[in-house]
Amino acid sequence: MQIDQTLDCKGLSCPMPIIKLSKTMKKMKTGEILEMIGTDPGSKSDVPAWCSKTGNEFIEQNNDDGAFIFYIKKG
Amino acid sequence: MFKKGVLRELFDSLFSKSWPMWIGGIILALFNILLFVIKYPWGANAGYVNIGQNLFQWLGATNIGTGTPINLHAVALLNIFIILGAFVSSLFSREFGIRVAPIGELIKGLVGGALMGIGATVGIGCTTGGFFSGVAALSGGALFLSLGFLLGTIVALKYLLWEMEALPNISMGKSCTLLPGTKPKTGWQRWLGWILIVVVLWVVSGYTSQGDSTMKVLGWHILLGLMLGIILQRSRFCIVRAFREPFMTGEAGATTAIILSMVIALLGFTVIKYFGVGNAGELSVRAIEMKSVYANFWLRALIGGFIFGIGMTIAGGCAVGTLWRAGEGHVKLWFSAIGFAVMAPVSKGFIVPFVVKLLPESLRKELFLPDVLGYTGAVILVLFILFLWYVFAKWNEKTGKFSAL
Repeated sequence: MQIDQTLDCKGLSCPMPIIKLSKTMKKMKTGEILEMIGTDPGSKSDVPAWCSKTGNEFIEQNNDDGAFIFYIKKG
Repeated sequence: MFKKGVLRELFDSLFSKSWPMWIGGIILALFNILLFVIKYPWGANAGYVNIGQNLFQWLGATNIGTGTPINLHAVALLNIFIILGAFVSSLFSREFGIRVAPIGELIKGLVGGALMGIGATVGIGCTTGGFFSGVAALSGGALFLSLGFLLGTIVALKYLLWEMEALPNISMGKSCTLLPGTKPKTGWQRWLGWILIVVVLWVVSGYTSQGDSTMKVLGWHILLGLMLGIILQRSRFCIVRAFREPFMTGEAGATTAIILSMVIALLGFTVIKYFGVGNAGELSVRAIEMKSVYANFWLRALIGGFIFGIGMTIAGGCAVGTLWRAGEGHVKLWFSAIGFAVMAPVSKGFIVPFVVKLLPESLRKELFLPDVLGYTGAVILVLFILFLWYVFAKWNEKTGKFSAL
């Protein structure tokens, strides 16, 4: 998987990760993939929900060293 | 913990995935009814004030604070054990981690908490005591408090979006996570959770084994606080979301969950007030009717609610949302809790008297809706407002008319 951009949301709590995600995705092109790293457990459900609401594709979530990593394809 | 079997299955079903917020809402409404029957509807503000007063007393600033000792204050105990319950719940679900946010975020937590401390004392009530319980308690002031929360949330959300464009560095910078439960070799975290539960039960029995009924009531608050903390953390129950989300992502899930919860609480509270259920032996039916109805109708509630609404949106958690997120390890919300507890007694001592002097009594009176509309009319009015809020949230979810993201 080719990652076009990475967004660091470590340490941030609701609603900052979603606001940042929305801002970053607006600047990306259709088909590009964003890697988002966060530590808020709320993001586990918020990010997929935001993707389906906004027509972006939620690819997967991995866990790494205490952080959650989300992969999202711009729709 | 349990290697196999039904107990393990039960544990996993409770702690491996978050619960839908509406499930949390239903349980919290039932707990709120229990709290009302035992003593008083759920609230958090009085607990922050009490903890802050004790802090000032301890520091020698007795002109600001001389409160009941924390261990004898029902709401302070409820707050503390909500934090602990959320801590236990996040340990069980491997969601605990001390998440140190960038410095700009920590300052926003502190400022947001302080604004909540001012708003809750000026408006009399936070999102839990003033709104969640207040509306269900058929308080007229609670309706204006809600309107204030809504306006404050909209203004603060505009600020957050502006901040993201103009001052992006505030939410960037050094951050770290300590003791995350997702790492391997963190099995001890679950054991710690079990140990804490045993300790809390031991504390509860220390209270309830005394002959004094006041102590029994306090013991129950500790037990309910622990359970509330667990439910709040599992369902990520968040009143800020209910107000904010229609204007941010447009999702209506949180708003719907809160409305459902309030309808259930409304039913329970109305029965309690209508029949004068509970400690009627000590209190008159009128005193029970006036629980969670404060002298804030209408401008006082609107002003306080507006300030609180700004604070909770900047902090990212209301009074109770701050408690359970603090238990989960978000350091930003630790700062919010400190800001709230420090500012609430200061505001009560210095800002509130000023506001009271400024506002004529007609703008800050107690209004129990059934006194004007009768029980039927009051319940219909509240249901109608909740229904309108639901229709708005659902319509906006489809059309995105008011959503910024």
